[in-house]
Amino acid sequence: MHFAPLPYLDPGSGSFLIQLAIAALLGLGVAVRASWGKIKGWFGIKSKTEEDDDESTE
Amino acid sequence: MTNQQNSGQLPASFRDPSGFLFSRGGILYRQVNRAYEREYSRLIESGLYERLVKAGLLILHVEVDKAEGTRAERSEPPGEHSRSDAAYKIIQPERVPFISYPYEWSFGQLKDAALATLSIQKRALKVGMSLKDASAYNIQFVRGKATLIDTLSFETYREGQPWVAYRQFCQHFLAPLALMALKDVRLNQLLRAYIDGVPLDLASQLLPWKTRLNFGLLTHIHLHAGAQKKYAGEEVNPRGSISKRAMIGLIENLESAVKKLNWIPRGTEWGNYYDLTNYSDAAFEHKKQLVKEWTARVKPALAWDLGANNGVFSRVASEAGPYVVSFDMDPAAVEQNYQVSKKAKEQNILPLLLDLTNPSPSIGWANRERDSFGSRGPADLVLALAVIHHLAISNNVPLPQLADFFAEMGKWLVIEFVPKPDSQVKKLLASRDDIFPNYTREGFEATFKERFDIHEAVDIRESERVLYLMKHR
Repeated sequence: MHFAPLPYLDPGSGSFLIQLAIAALLGLGVAVRASWGKIKGWFGIKSKTEEDDDESTE
Repeated sequence: MTNQQNSGQLPASFRDPSGFLFSRGGILYRQVNRAYEREYSRLIESGLYERLVKAGLLILHVEVDKAEGTRAERSEPPGEHSRSDAAYKIIQPERVPFISYPYEWSFGQLKDAALATLSIQKRALKVGMSLKDASAYNIQFVRGKATLIDTLSFETYREGQPWVAYRQFCQHFLAPLALMALKDVRLNQLLRAYIDGVPLDLASQLLPWKTRLNFGLLTHIHLHAGAQKKYAGEEVNPRGSISKRAMIGLIENLESAVKKLNWIPRGTEWGNYYDLTNYSDAAFEHKKQLVKEWTARVKPALAWDLGANNGVFSRVASEAGPYVVSFDMDPAAVEQNYQVSKKAKEQNILPLLLDLTNPSPSIGWANRERDSFGSRGPADLVLALAVIHHLAISNNVPLPQLADFFAEMGKWLVIEFVPKPDSQVKKLLASRDDIFPNYTREGFEATFKERFDIHEAVDIRESERVLYLMKHR
């Protein structure tokens, strides 16, 4: 894979690979949560809005 | 402020090809290079800039006439990569009243800085941008809130690409926070030794074994450190890529790992000496009243409270208007101070960790990246309340050296002399020889008169102590 322009920080090979692995796992989680929300939606259960959930910094 | 007063590029911003900081006529500017034009426009046009500024997450700036930047274009180019980069824009960021560094922050401050960084990254991803660095040094406390001060930290997000600042985030934030929360709060001082954050292999070794049972710490620190070791120096060409959904998962996971880390000062080790003062209520009130009155009289813009404990007198002084930096060497006191200030949404108090007997040195490349404590001064007013006996007796600093030190730190000085008959001093002398024949009220006044004009000297009611207002000559 090629990223342009080159990052000015060196992400580090190991850091990159572990990030890839963790993200793959977590992406799965996000996908499951998203479809769970959809399923709940079919039954008319509203899930919490995702928009601006950064209460800690508001 | 020394570095900022030399007109020219500031030494802390040499690394970034997108632009650099410079100062002219005492005002701080940031040059945006041509190379960064697209990213800068996107930051503004996407509305991200406005949203972040509104949330107090990004420093406010105004664009100024490029002529303001002529000094910058004439000045030394910041590095090879920018020689072909003319100025695209010159911006003037809001002034940060006092620059502080992560090794001077309490646990809560570092945690809030980490959460601010992740919150910014989440908001950036929503509009197709991403932080290209996650340096703790890019965060400063502005009006009491952790705020990103590097406007040029954003780049266009390309789906599939990893978060280039992931390693930096783990080193600058997650590792020190985990060490502080789960090992020892004093390990934040590793940040003073390692300017690019705590090396993950070191953090992994120091953390208790049980942290391997915590998914966030297991992956982002322990396995991360292992992967770094295994693939050190290898060129990776992985087939996989990180979907946007996975990227958001990663950021949210880091966020939850950070949120789970807590440090609450308790027990006998930390934080119970606040009740151990030898002050009567009347003495305490008298001292408060004098501090308030004198601060109002000298009208400082910047005040330093050295040895502030949990900030009681910093608050008294701040009522008279100045921005007060409230220093103490006890991590529990600084944490308490910060939590009080955060809860009350105070905008003009900055609690910081500082050991006066060994204050923050200048560190980084050529010792010029991060300023020492002293070079970030002088303040208009220095408060040194109930601190002189610790320096003169516990740390054996002779009085003339103390006078020199305080004279360098500020123009005005409010200092409390705590004489030998005082019970706190008796305690300090109980287990050692009294080798301080000059440590008397007369000796103190004679010594400080050589550097200061004494404007006031008031005996504090119901105590042995004297409070002085002096002006540096």
